[in-house]
Amino acid sequence: MEAAAAHQQKEKDPYVHRPCAFDKMEGLVREMQDPENGVPVRSQKQFLTSIPSAFMGECRRYLRRGVSVTGQQSQDTTGCLRVAGYDLVEWLMERLAIEESVEAVHIANQLCQYGYFFPVNDSKTLTVKDDSSLYRFQTPYYWPWQHRTPDNVEYAIYLAKRTRRNKQRHALEDYEIEALNSLRRNLQNKWDLIQQQAEEQVRLSKERKKGDKIVSDSQERAFWRVYRPPPGCLSSLEVVPVPTRGRPGAPRPPPRKRTLADLQREVELLRNSLTRTRIKMSTAIENLKNHFETYTEYDPMIVQPQPSNPWITDDQIFWQLNSPLVEVPTEKRVKRWALSMEEVMSDPTGLLEFTNYLRKEYSHENIRFWMAVKDLRRSFQAQIPVKVNEIYEEFLAAGAPCEINIDGKTMEKVQQEMKNPTRFTFDAAAEHVYTLLLKKDCYPRFIRSEHYRQLLAAGVQPLQKKRFFGFGGQAKKKASSTSVPTSGSLQQHQQQQTSGGGAAGTGRRRGSDRSLSGSAHELAICGIRDIATAPRVPHSHSQSNLTDIPYRGDLACLVKIPARPNPDDFQDAGVSGSAAVVRPTDDVCPWDAAPGPVPGPSSERPGDPGGGSSASVGTAAGGGEALTEARGASRKNSSQFDSGSSSSDVSVAVAEAAERLRRSCTLQQQQQQQQQQVAGCPRGSRGASVTFADTSRASVSSSNEYFSPQRSFDLSHSAAAPQLEETTDTPIGVVDTSEGSISPRGGVPAMAPVISISSIVGEILAEETQGAVNIDCKDIREENSTVEDDVVVEDDREDREDREEGNESRNNAATPHVRIEIDGEELAEDAQVVPVWEPDTQTQESTRAIPTPMEQQDNNDNEVCPWEDEENCRVDATYVKTYSTLGYL
Amino acid sequence: MDSATELEQIETLAKEAETLKLRLDDERQKLNDVTLASVADRLESINCMNVKPRRILKGHQAKVLCSDWSPDKRHIVSSSQDGKMIIWDAFTTNKEHAVTMPTTWVMACAYAPSGTLVACGGLDNKVTVYPLSLEDDVSARKKTVGTHTSYMSCCAFPNSDQQILTGSGDSTCALWDVESGQLLQNFHGHSGDVMSLDLAPSETGNTFVSGSCDKMVLIWDMRSGQCVQSFQGHRSDVNSVRFHPSGDAVATGSDDATCRLFDLRADKEVAVYAKESIIFGANAVDLSISGRLLFAGYNDYTVNAWDTLKCQRVALLYGHENRVSCLRISPDGTALSTGSWDATLRVWA
Repeated sequence: MEAAAAHQQKEKDPYVHRPCAFDKMEGLVREMQDPENGVPVRSQKQFLTSIPSAFMGECRRYLRRGVSVTGQQSQDTTGCLRVAGYDLVEWLMERLAIEESVEAVHIANQLCQYGYFFPVNDSKTLTVKDDSSLYRFQTPYYWPWQHRTPDNVEYAIYLAKRTRRNKQRHALEDYEIEALNSLRRNLQNKWDLIQQQAEEQVRLSKERKKGDKIVSDSQERAFWRVYRPPPGCLSSLEVVPVPTRGRPGAPRPPPRKRTLADLQREVELLRNSLTRTRIKMSTAIENLKNHFETYTEYDPMIVQPQPSNPWITDDQIFWQLNSPLVEVPTEKRVKRWALSMEEVMSDPTGLLEFTNYLRKEYSHENIRFWMAVKDLRRSFQAQIPVKVNEIYEEFLAAGAPCEINIDGKTMEKVQQEMKNPTRFTFDAAAEHVYTLLLKKDCYPRFIRSEHYRQLLAAGVQPLQKKRFFGFGGQAKKKASSTSVPTSGSLQQHQQQQTSGGGAAGTGRRRGSDRSLSGSAHELAICGIRDIATAPRVPHSHSQSNLTDIPYRGDLACLVKIPARPNPDDFQDAGVSGSAAVVRPTDDVCPWDAAPGPVPGPSSERPGDPGGGSSASVGTAAGGGEALTEARGASRKNSSQFDSGSSSSDVSVAVAEAAERLRRSCTLQQQQQQQQQQVAGCPRGSRGASVTFADTSRASVSSSNEYFSPQRSFDLSHSAAAPQLEETTDTPIGVVDTSEGSISPRGGVPAMAPVISISSIVGEILAEETQGAVNIDCKDIREENSTVEDDVVVEDDREDREDREEGNESRNNAATPHVRIEIDGEELAEDAQVVPVWEPDTQTQESTRAIPTPMEQQDNNDNEVCPWEDEENCRVDATYVKTYSTLGYL
Repeated sequence: MDSATELEQIETLAKEAETLKLRLDDERQKLNDVTLASVADRLESINCMNVKPRRILKGHQAKVLCSDWSPDKRHIVSSSQDGKMIIWDAFTTNKEHAVTMPTTWVMACAYAPSGTLVACGGLDNKVTVYPLSLEDDVSARKKTVGTHTSYMSCCAFPNSDQQILTGSGDSTCALWDVESGQLLQNFHGHSGDVMSLDLAPSETGNTFVSGSCDKMVLIWDMRSGQCVQSFQGHRSDVNSVRFHPSGDAVATGSDDATCRLFDLRADKEVAVYAKESIIFGANAVDLSISGRLLFAGYNDYTVNAWDTLKCQRVALLYGHENRVSCLRISPDGTALSTGSWDATLRVWA
């Protein structure tokens, strides 16, 4: 300490970088020690202390009233304030108008880490607890940033001193011993001096009063704990090692001298500023306010984005919908283009649409010119002359292919600039084009145009998902928007991603359709919108909503699908209102409606999944596809549909998606969450939606609802269930059990729907076998994720046992995709699914082509074309199979 | 001219500058008709901010000093004290690249608009770009673009992969041609270390803002290299500057434990965001898409969210275990990333 004191005088550097925080902290700590208004001192005894050593003098005034406390250690009676943790916290709260004690504790901890006070009874850590533990103020001499940073010699003296004192109270910590040893090595030439100093200090300390000694010892120790923290502890005093921000004592460059040039620049700037036109404060504030009001809905920190914030839900739909280049932008995004021309220009899709519009009007040379100039401004230096010439030749030269229309004055300017081409040569012309032509003419026309209106009308409207887990988003249920579709939509998105790069419209759509199939609602919605848009929209419909929408959607999809194999068609169908048509059939009882084409029993069988579909099939001549689709729908809504439309493609896409999923576990999680959310959705709604479903089935259906794909299943189940019941009670029972399991798990991945079907079949088998069920479930999940769902289902149909095995194998293969931990859910799904599938159908299915990936080829073969098979065999047949499986069960 | 006349000139100029400043203050005061508080009173307050930590990126072995979002909205580049630069897929929290720099204290890093290039630099006084590719070793294709005479504290790509703007401890900013390493423009005017810079959000904008240890905030014309506007007000180093998304204002964070908002068109300070309980300096600030929320990372390990219009603190985010050194809103505004001396990055949403 003495050594440090000796250095003290040297440190007065007039130009010391000193963060403001230290002034504030010191002010605060001084106030804390104020006898009148400071932190109350918890003392049992009070001593008037005379503070012995010189350096202690600084703190004398704070210790005027010489309080010391000592409760537990009688020897610890000294002239140093001790305060309790809760008093500190309370004082801080009052002094700084802090509302929550957490913040006050946090500040107290900061002060403690900077060494302004320290715990009396804990020499290891520097933390403040909001309790009765006691803290002692550090003497200002030891406050940080008061002097230059202590050096190793001082540290060595301090350590050496402690080795010479009472071993019990002054023994060194392990890290200190290490430090001492290394210091001894490094400071060999000074070691004698260090030893002398240490000895001297020990001698001096012996002359002090005991109380003072204890206080100063603990303060010194606390000081070194701040400057030489034990390993693993933070040093709050570390600074960026740049000259101007260094610690006190570090060599620093003299402050920069202001040169004549500096001053001239400053005066110039000030003069210019004086003549600057300013707006009133009120106008400026109004501008800021207006900006906020305009952009509130685009600020995810204030208004939750639709459908959800990816970081919160792990659901990347939002990003997929808003990727830089999309075929169909969201409605919100299109609306944003109307806010200002800058919004259009800064959005790649907006720019594209704007350009397309102008091209239609044969006036896109302006925007092209502007883009070229913008590009020029930021080009590599070496390319500048070439690019300047190119632009001139294309847009400005007389008779240029895309001559732009600028006034003579601007043209003159350009000609002038062309003599010495730079990246700014065309700035004047570009400015002219931008403000006069684009901004005041083209842009307003664009916003008023039919083109823009169509974009707006076609805009995707992602629906919000229900949040069951309090993610903090807005969790309002919209009738049309709910969680159920989420899984499906997720799949879609994934598929889209996998399939496509930027704007693979159809592929994505298909994928989406598949996924959509999981959520019929989505399809319906899509239908409402333009076809193109539909695929992209990840609709999350509340299950309750689903009752209304989904059914229709499913039906519509199914029906239309048969008629139109393309997913787009599905959408269209949904739009056209085929959905409505379908509905009735569904309500009627799919099987009943189906009856014509389908044999009674068979019709029933298909009825579950295809119940609607079968009916639709009946209506639609193209039964095959419709059937397949219907199946898909029933089984796993979207996936199957997709497969129906393009099963092979779908499968591939699924596989890709699965890979993606693997890559990002988060996706899986998201799906699970979504599924869970879905599960959370009112099941009853679905059941309600399914008119045909028996009450018993209704329950099942409700359980099914958890999984979006399952929904379809449910529907199918419900439809099938009655049949099954007729045929066999067992299937129903199975369904119920499955349902029960499902309901709790609810969270089957979005992918699961498709998968779940196959898995379900397998699972059912497994359940029968019991042991294998879990595996199956996993497999199923995987399969689902991979798009193998369809295949799986088929496989299941083929050989239940085989399927089980196959599923397992598949699962293994598929597992990489995403290993969802919700076996139970899957199982439940499977169970549900099972009733749907009948053994006969399975065999038939097996016959179908296999779109699935290699691993699942076998399964795929069967699966492959559930729809195809169906088509071939007639949907009824497949359905029949399913029913038969149900009978099995 | 001899030194005597030069000193004389300096003196006269300094005097003139002082009088000009006074006149300027008068001018500004004339238009100071209302306060922000009176206007914002009518605004609905932001209730229940629900920002929580969503991801923690662990992998740096030392203090994280800077970070930047990729334009793809999910990747982050971060640099740290031990000379490592890491490219993260923040969504999955996976590390995609880790580059070792030949220097410690890599104080600046930035993603290029294409998302295929990153730049970084620090105590080596250099700005180095690394093309990102999955095939090659990233550091094999590195390229040193420019060199300052002191440490490089900040950098940014001005809407192009082909140029890079840097700020340095030598109190200048510079615009470089990435391909040739040519100095395209130099920006003199600060009298202290430049700590931070940010580009105007406008597509056509040719301006940027810089903050410095001389407590000044300057607006620059990139084309001419001239300072076009200056703001005073902070009482200590300006550590961070960010443009308001409208482009009409800049938000700043300073060692004086305040954040401020300066309006370019009103030519003056509009708001101060401070609280008595905030003692430590702000290292990094950023604004949400609407400009209503200002997030600031402080030396006391916390992040404060301010309502810019009501000048109230609406949230206090705990989580980091050491100073928050950098902070960025993701390009689409869905998340907030923070980097800290505790060697982690966190993503909040």
